[in-house]
Parts: sequence; C-alpha cells; structure tokens
Amino acid sequence: MPTNRDVVLVDKQALGGPYFVLTFEHAEVATEGRAGQFVMIKAGQSAEPPLRRPFSILATDPAQGRFRLFVKAIGQGTRALCALQPGEPAQCLGPLGRPFTAPAADEEPLLVAGGYGIAPFLLMSHELRARGVTARVFYGGRTAAELQLREPFAAAGVPLVLSTDDGSLGFPGRVTGALEAHLDRGGDGRRPRLYACGPDPMLHAVAALAARRGLAAEVSLDPWMGCGVGTCLGCVVKIQGPEQERWKYRCACTEGPVFDATHVVWPGDATSAAAGAAR
Amino acid sequence: MSSSPPNLAVDFAGVKLKNPLVAASGTFGYGVEYEGILDLSRLGGLVSKGLYMTPRDGNPTPRLAETPHGLLNAIGLQGVGVRAFARDVLPRLARHDTAVFVNVCGDSIDEYAEVAAVLEDAPGVAGLEINISCPNVKKGGLAFGNDPAMTHAVVAAVRKVTKRPLIPKLSPNVSDIATFARACADAGADGLSCINTLLGMAIDVETRRPKLAYGTGGLSGPAIRPVAVRMTWQVARAVKLPIFGIGGISCAADALEFLIAGATAVQIGTANFVDAGVYEKILTGLTDYLVRHGLTDIRQVVGTLEIPERT
Ligand SMILES: Cc1cc2nc3c(=O)[nH]c(=O)nc-3n(C[C@H](O)[C@H](O)[C@H](O)COP(=O)(O)OP(=O)(O)OC[C@H]3O[C@@H](n4cnc5c(N)ncnc54)[C@H](O)[C@@H]3O)c2cc1C
Ligand SMILES: Cc1cc2nc3c(=O)[nH]c(=O)nc-3n(C[C@H](O)[C@H](O)[C@H](O)COP(=O)(O)O)c2cc1C
Ligand code: FES
Repeated sequence: MPTNRDVVLVDKQALGGPYFVLTFEHAEVATEGRAGQFVMIKAGQSAEPPLRRPFSILATDPAQGRFRLFVKAIGQGTRALCALQPGEPAQCLGPLGRPFTAPAADEEPLLVAGGYGIAPFLLMSHELRARGVTARVFYGGRTAAELQLREPFAAAGVPLVLSTDDGSLGFPGRVTGALEAHLDRGGDGRRPRLYACGPDPMLHAVAALAARRGLAAEVSLDPWMGCGVGTCLGCVVKIQGPEQERWKYRCACTEGPVFDATHVVWPGDATSAAAGAAR
Repeated sequence: MSSSPPNLAVDFAGVKLKNPLVAASGTFGYGVEYEGILDLSRLGGLVSKGLYMTPRDGNPTPRLAETPHGLLNAIGLQGVGVRAFARDVLPRLARHDTAVFVNVCGDSIDEYAEVAAVLEDAPGVAGLEINISCPNVKKGGLAFGNDPAMTHAVVAAVRKVTKRPLIPKLSPNVSDIATFARACADAGADGLSCINTLLGMAIDVETRRPKLAYGTGGLSGPAIRPVAVRMTWQVARAVKLPIFGIGGISCAADALEFLIAGATAVQIGTANFVDAGVYEKILTGLTDYLVRHGLTDIRQVVGTLEIPERT
C-alpha cells in the first residue's frame, strides 16, 4: 500500500554533474517497492514548487527501512531535492504504480535505459538476481558524462553495455543500436524480453524495434505527474489494448508507469485528439 | 476552559459533517483512490470528480502546469459517467463514514437534470454540487456560470428533479459574484460552493506555445486564496445560504480565513496533490486555534469578521 510519510534524507552521494544518489528512510517503500514503481517526493517544507515530483525507486534496503533514488537535477523540484543535507526533511508517498513484469524462465531479460531511465534497472537487476537470473543492461546517453550510474552495476556484477551518441564511451550510437547488435548476435539464445525506461523518443524506438522483431517489450513512461495516485488526471497517456477499438486515456501513475509497448499510442502514431485543441 | 476537545462538527444544508473539511471536486478522484492512503472517515466529506451522463475523454495533454504557488489545469472533465459512478463507486464509498457529494455536470440544462435524476435514488449521496463553473470545456460549464439567467435556469431545472441538498458551485470569472449567489438562492439552492478555478494561461516562451494543450486553464492553489476569501465574504453578505469556502487552502489558518469570512465549511483541492496528510494537519490546527482562543465550537468562528472603524 502506498504510504504517505514525512521522511528524512539519511545519505547523499554526488555523482558527476547534476546526478545524485539520495537515501531516505521509509519502511513501506523499502519493503514493498518493486522495480518500475516510483515515489512522489518533495524536499522540506517549502511552498515552492507546489507539487511533489515522481522518481523511480533505485534500490531498497528492507532491513534498514531505507530506499534510494537516482536524481538528475534539472529544475526547481529536483534541485531542491538534491540540495537537501542529511537529516533534513522531505515528504514522500510510495510505493506507487505498476512494476515491470518478471520474465519467464525461457526469456532473456534485456534492460534498456536512457539517461536517468537507468534508475529502475538497478532494483530490477537485484530482483532478478534473487531469482537466480542475470540481467543484461544497456545504458545509453548523449555523452559519457550522462552515464553516471555505472559503479553499482559493476559492484553487483551485472553486465552493463554502455553507449553514447557522441562515441565518447562504449558503443558509438544510440542505445537501441547497442541492443540490436546484441540481438543480431543471437543474444544468449533464449527468447529476448525487452524492458525500457528513458526519454520518449528512445521508448518509441524500442517499441518499434520490438514490433519489428516480434519481441515482448515493456516501457516505463515518463509523463508529467501531479498527484501519483490517479486523481489529478494530469499524467494520462493514450493506451489501446488488443481488445479495444480505440485508445483510452489511462493514468500513467496507477495503470503504469510500465505499459506493454504494443499498447502505447505514440505521439504521431495515430490521429491525435490534440488536433484543433492547442491554439 | 472546557476539558473536552472543542466541537468541529457542522451542519451544511441539512448534511451533518463531522468536521468542516471536505475534499474538493476533481482533486480527490472518486474518493476510492485514497482508500488505504488516508482514512476517509476522518474527512467531513468529499466531492466526486465532475460527472456527466456518459464517460468522457477529457482534454489532450499537457493538462497541468505549475505556476507560482499555483496550478493551472485543463483536464476537461474526463470521467466515467454518472451511471458507472453510482454502480461501482458509491457502494465502495458507503464503507466509509463520510458525506459524499456528487459534482454534477452537463452540456445542456437537460443533461444536468438527467444526471441529478440518476442520483436521486442512489444510496449514499449526501448532496449535489452543480458545476456551472468549469472553465475547461467548450459547452456547458462556464457558459452557465457567467450569465445569471442561465445560472438560475440550470439550478431551477435540477431543483425540479431532486430533493437532495443542492449546492451550485460559483465561478470567480464574473464581475459581481453576489448576483450569481442570489440567482442560485432564488432558484432554490440549499448552499453554495465558492469558488471554482480562475481562468488563466501560461506560455512557454521558448516555443511560444501555451503550456497547456487546451490553451487556457483553471488556476488553483494558494495563489488564488485572497480572491476566494474576498468572494466568500461577498457571497456570505449577499445570501443566507451555507457556503463551502474553496481556494488555496493548505493549513488551518487558511481554512479559518474562509470560516471567519462566513463559510460554514471549506473544501480542499490542490493541497490534496501536495500532501495526503493535509487533513490531519488542518484538524489539529483548528483544534489548537479553538483552544487557544477559549472557544468550544468551530461554529463560533463562522462569520466573525471584524472590520475596524476607519479613523
Ligand atoms: C515514473 C517516473 C519516474 C521518474 N524517475 C526519475 C528518476 O529516477 N530520476 C530522475 O532524475 N528523474 C525521474 N523522473 C523525472 C522527474 O520526475 C523530473 O525530472 C522532475 O519532475 C523534474 O522536476 P523539476 O522541478 O526539477 O523540473 P521542472 O522545473 O518541473 O522541469 C524542468 C524541465 O523538465 C521538463 N520535465 C519535467 N518533468 C518531466 C518529466 N517527467 N519528463 C520529461 N520532462 C520533464 C519540464 O518540462 C522542464 O522543461 C521520473 C518521472 C516519472 C514520471
Ligand atoms: C486538477 C483539477 C481538477 C478539477 N476538477 C474539477 C471538477 O471536476 N469539478 C469542479 O467543480 N471543480 C474542479 N476543480 C476545482 C476545484 O474543485 C477547486 O474549486 C479549485 O481547485 C480551487 O481550490 P484549491 O485552490 O484548493 O485547489 C478542479 C481543480 C483541479 C486543480
Ligand atoms: S499523476 Fe495525478 S492522476 Fe496520475
């Protein structure tokens, strides 16, 4: 059950540039949080910005009742969070949303991340490890500077395939390029199952690739969220299940953020209800 | 000094509220979303998301934009429709000891009356809030709320089909809100909700596009509180009906402003998104305030605004 708590920051690690790993105390998130789920959190008691922000759960420590976030400071809310000092308060509701679905025994889990989209895949690697499965993680960014969350994967012995658009680190090109190279080599022989989290164009590319190759894929979407619990209706995305004649707006916070990639109606894919509305 | 805790219960248009805090329409879903996150029985009441006869998609995204101390929304009344609400949601809400108000919408006067008629036999409805003030739909909504004759017509039409407490929700996007309050009272309203969102707009200067896909939106949150308090005060002086004060409430002092201005109870909107624990914090704050002022009953605060003589 999502639990609303006033929490405190217990540890902060500055990685390179705008990237931070933040540790908070929150028993329910620590024990119940699953890969792909998120929390809504806001720093301190300050009135601005008004709303909490969504972040994927990076890691959990049930024994200590703690969880971690990987945060890229890009605006007012994320900067306030990353400016917290240990001992300072935050307000946190979680765990929220629908997690990734575990792979079947005959499936090879391939985790595809762009930028801060790497966050859910550390927890996922741990969950899979607990079931005796080793995940392969593809981690792409524009430059090497965007790939700041490498060490925890190395420490856990999870194979990490890096890629950069500018070729400064790992595979030169898009993360989907690195993924295709692996698939073209035949993967590890099992049926590949894709899990993706990152910017929309990347998710769209993964969905298209999965459709082309007939692979199962789940994507974690990243819309603007106001409440995290299905009441503001600000986070809706167009979803069309196989049995449906027409898309419906679904809350990414409660029915996602993880969706079957084939169910997502991507912007530009279909006639948009937005036509004629935005003026 | 009394030793028992002060009374927070109020009577709103014949509906008993165990405290004056009610969740505002559109900011609390259908209530059931918060089951397990907070104890719904701690609320004085809740108002459902706006409901039409049929399900609605609502507006395209983006639908929300933050503004200084505020939130701009153009959700466009996405919803499941009144029949699904009555069938699926009301029985679940009945498990909680809280007053359930339904926010009634319509594209036409007839539709308002139809929605109200569907609810007439539905168990567990404490009252109807008539939404004549949504700025984010092309038909109905505001069109009924910024013309006193239309306001009168909608309220009168719903009055004909319901015996339930009838609470029109006033729009702040008018020049004299008292006129609208009187039109509602004349048409048979039992109470008033004051206010809905203020029509606003935000622009992304890089793309030169509106931040909301709909273009304009309704402004809520602390930014609108002074406007809402002023309007509550004006409405309280214009009519004898009980008033829900609404707009930017996020702490006990905010709620007290509305009560002092003449509201019988208050609704909490945007603050629900910020902190689901807001009700407990406000309840504690109200009790503290009453004790500190030597009062035994929240009703002793209502309409007690003092205007000092000008010297
Ligand atoms: C389910 C989910 C999980 C997320 N997990 C993480 C995570 O693990 N780590 C992390 O760093 N971030 C994550 N995010 C994104 C994070 O919530 C946003 O970066 C944050 O809300 C920005 O807030 P801000 O106040 O700093 O920026 P704002 O001032 O609100 O925005 C700064 C800029 O970023 C854009 N922006 C804001 N929110 C988003 C968004 N959700 N997607 C795309 N663009 C946006 C704005 O339009 C603006 O241009 C996640 C988002 C979702 C929905
Ligand atoms: C996202 C959102 C959706 C809303 N939907 C409705 C609605 O369906 N019906 C309605 O009468 N008011 C609706 N409102 C208005 C609120 O009920 C309330 O009147 C307004 O937000 C002012 O209160 P606040 O400042 O506490 O949020 C909505 C407000 C927001 C922010
Ligand atoms: S974030 Fe509010 S409904 Fe999803």
